Amino acid sequence: MRALSIELRKEKRTGVIPLMLAVGIMGAAYALINFIVRKDTLLNLPLAPMDVLLTQVYGMIMILNMFGVIVASCIIYNMEFKGCAVKKMYMLPMSVPAMYFCKFLILTVMLLITIGLQYLALAKIGITDLPKGTFELGTLLSFAGYSFTTSMPVLAFMIFVSSQFENMWIPLGIGVAGFLSGMALAAPDIKWLCVHPFVVMLKPAVAMNAQPDMTIVIMALVETTVLLFAGLWTAKNLRCE
Amino acid sequence: MNNYIIKTMQLTKKYKSFVAVNDVSLHIRKGSIYGFLGPNGAGKSTTMKMLLGLTAPTKGSFEIDGKQFPNDRLSILKEVGSFIESPSFYANLTGRENLDIIRRILGLPQNAVEEALELVGLSEFGSRLAKKYSLGMKQRLGLAGALIGRPPILILDEPTNGLDPSGIHEIRNLIKSLPDLYDCTILISSHMLSEIELMANDIGILNHGHLLFEGSLDGLRQNAMQSGFAADNLEDMFLSMVDKDNASRKQRAIL
Repeated sequence: MRALSIELRKEKRTGVIPLMLAVGIMGAAYALINFIVRKDTLLNLPLAPMDVLLTQVYGMIMILNMFGVIVASCIIYNMEFKGCAVKKMYMLPMSVPAMYFCKFLILTVMLLITIGLQYLALAKIGITDLPKGTFELGTLLSFAGYSFTTSMPVLAFMIFVSSQFENMWIPLGIGVAGFLSGMALAAPDIKWLCVHPFVVMLKPAVAMNAQPDMTIVIMALVETTVLLFAGLWTAKNLRCE
Repeated sequence: MNNYIIKTMQLTKKYKSFVAVNDVSLHIRKGSIYGFLGPNGAGKSTTMKMLLGLTAPTKGSFEIDGKQFPNDRLSILKEVGSFIESPSFYANLTGRENLDIIRRILGLPQNAVEEALELVGLSEFGSRLAKKYSLGMKQRLGLAGALIGRPPILILDEPTNGLDPSGIHEIRNLIKSLPDLYDCTILISSHMLSEIELMANDIGILNHGHLLFEGSLDGLRQNAMQSGFAADNLEDMFLSMVDKDNASRKQRAIL
């Protein structure tokens, strides 16, 4: 708890928390505006109303979230490298893996809040704009959980990569390359491509229905766990000399 | 029984084929100021980094207050205030906020921050962002980070770098007064004997990773006289020691 409160103090003026909130608000605004402008077109698609609500605007929301996570993880470690602050942390009686875990936790909670804001907007649209009796809160919550779970491998991967490079442009470049390669590999229905964390995050965006794919969920959980432990191990055992 | 608070035993650090520190055995007495002297690249910072667990020794070991890395890492770091190479700070935080982070990690009372700022003469600049500090102010902030909480052991790597002459004088006097004020032991490095001479009780001279001399300043003076140098000119003694070592090194390389 003490490590978490210290980590939160360090975030001051970095912009990580406002950035993730802004991503949540932008995603919510995009969904609301999209339904105001394209409501009839969207509801005339040959899809169930809940599928329209959850899959047709998710692409843009997911890209916003992905770039939010990429930039936030770059910032959250760049502040450690900028004034060589991390070197001081190594010289203090503080657990470096705990510091890594707290950064992971802060970004996870911020992503949860971001997704929460976006799904609040989708719930509002579902209640007011979908044909009467077609809005299902359970489906919305399950898809929200699905999009959160599938976003976690990218978050874990980006924190891991950001913790390894002092130059912020390298993890940023890796993030952009991950996004582009993920876009190219997300459409084919080949399960093993899901070892690519960005493909996992893109999967709900290329699906045509709002039913979570359990194979993708399991892969997302495994990847998140593996990447988190890889980061913790590295933080404990490898030092920048 | 000796009263060495820091003791290294054949400490060695190799980076591939380059030997940065070679079989260095230091003996630092409790309550003393130990000057660690050597030209740039002699291995002073590497030795200090090993003592702080920033880099692992290739060979040898060391003890700090009877404790060893990595098993006692947290308990050693609780006792040691350090300042290595350049000052480390969070650029997005003010000087005061930077020290507050350290205070929280060390579990110190709130007044420790103001005390540390005052000690290094940064009180009036405490609310300024650390990234806007001048080099000298960053150096002072780094020192404050080492001194906060009055640790019993201080490891300071060229702490007066970047300070103006009056700043050097001020920090030198501060360091000199610390063992009496807080009953602490100081390991301080420099490449200038003239500076170390004004502060240290004991010194160790390092060149190309080798410890050329370890002992008291009086011991060095005697050594200087035996070698035909004036006892009041230790700088010449230090330079000739280093030159002699460099020459024998070249000779060995030719052979």
